[in-house]
Amino acid sequence: MILLQSPSRFLLQILQDRVQSPEKGVDLDCHSVEFGDVRYHIQISMKKPQVMALSVSLPIPPPEAIFYSGLPVGAIEAIKAAYGPIVQILDPPKDGYNLTMKLYLSKLPSDEEQRQALLVKIASVREVVLGAPLRVVLKNLASKTVAPDVDQLVALVHRPEESFFLVPQTEKVIVVYPMRFQDSIDIVLASSFLQEFVEARRTAALNNAPPCMWSPSPPLELKGAPAEALTANAGFVTFVIFPRHVEGKKLDRTVWNLLTFHAYVSYHVKCSEGFMHTRMRRRVESLIQALDRAKPDTEKMKKVVQGKSFKRLSLKEARGS
Amino acid sequence: MANTLRLYLTCIRNTLEAAMCLQNFPCQEVERHNKPEVELKTSLELLLNPVLICRNEAEKCLIESSINSIRISMKVKQADELENILAKKFLRFLSMRAEAFQVLRRKPVQGYDISFLITNYHCEDMHKHKLIDFIVQFMEDIDKEISELKLSVNTRGRLVATEFLKQFI
Repeated sequence: MILLQSPSRFLLQILQDRVQSPEKGVDLDCHSVEFGDVRYHIQISMKKPQVMALSVSLPIPPPEAIFYSGLPVGAIEAIKAAYGPIVQILDPPKDGYNLTMKLYLSKLPSDEEQRQALLVKIASVREVVLGAPLRVVLKNLASKTVAPDVDQLVALVHRPEESFFLVPQTEKVIVVYPMRFQDSIDIVLASSFLQEFVEARRTAALNNAPPCMWSPSPPLELKGAPAEALTANAGFVTFVIFPRHVEGKKLDRTVWNLLTFHAYVSYHVKCSEGFMHTRMRRRVESLIQALDRAKPDTEKMKKVVQGKSFKRLSLKEARGS
Repeated sequence: MANTLRLYLTCIRNTLEAAMCLQNFPCQEVERHNKPEVELKTSLELLLNPVLICRNEAEKCLIESSINSIRISMKVKQADELENILAKKFLRFLSMRAEAFQVLRRKPVQGYDISFLITNYHCEDMHKHKLIDFIVQFMEDIDKEISELKLSVNTRGRLVATEFLKQFI
């Protein structure tokens, strides 16, 4: 799987199971943790089997992107717009979580396709909640309305205590990611990956993709940003989003891709390291085989009868004894 | 480029064939001890002159020999930051498995990336020319592996970038 998927598989699986066999007969109480420190808690009690309580905990925001009332700007409106009457938001949320919702499974549409689409949408609650402020900015871009925060730096959370920045303008939105990694090997691999992004954009097939730039030092757009945001050991990536990238159905996909860009790069850096380990192990095995070839034949014969502790006699010795 | 590699490896092979004349030699200083003299370097009469073979400023090979052991140290080419960490990662991976390789030294000699220690016991257990074949093949394989790792990183980076950007079209 190259791309990160928007609906959480954990949530989708539980929802589908419940909807298919609602009279399961057991209480459900599950926790799950996903990349970027997002946690889910699902509870279903058999006293009310048609009601599911879903709690979501979001990563801690850095000081420049603080959540007001515990949720990103516009999250509550986004939830109501996406889920409608199926969902009731509980206030205050459960202890330790940013959001608790009650899902009324009986109110799901009876049409198979619509129901499945809605379940997928519920499983993508992370995209709806965390991506709400980004969605607002991009929607303004799509409808070409002048937003109140035009030309200002907007900071949004995508990882624990780290944010990325938007500069909404009338014709485009500039997105800047300060890329930070903890491991020194990750930093070098990520820098080479990010430079590939710039190279890949230059190919003719990707002419309509957002222009992409990478620089080791903070770009000019980050002039007003706080000092901690300006240190990034793997450089800064800048995307320029135009209205054609957010029209119609593309809006949701663009929101998800921009929201999880750092996670995407980090995931592939780790995959790359795993692959290198596999290669190195294979190479070690082939080298040891080459070394075994250096051993004379009597040694090899002993190896064949492993586990037996007798010494193999050659024909001459057998005749002699 | 390939030309100098062949010349470099042939030179190393010839030097090894000359230098690998090992025989058992119990320690002169301590009774009943048998140590690889090239590691201790206490008695000068037991050591041969070390030979340094340089392919260019970045790559070289030091061959130190003694009466019962020979030490071969290599410095691998590292052109940029990425090759640097790939080489370090790979050679550390190999050094940690020195037990399995028998002739590999756990820590490289100061100033080099990887070292071998071959004693007279190894020469008794294994054919000398095959051992030299192994060392030379090892050197070739390291170079090949590092350039293949770098290629795989770049290819993966290109693929990852293309898939991501395609999502916006």
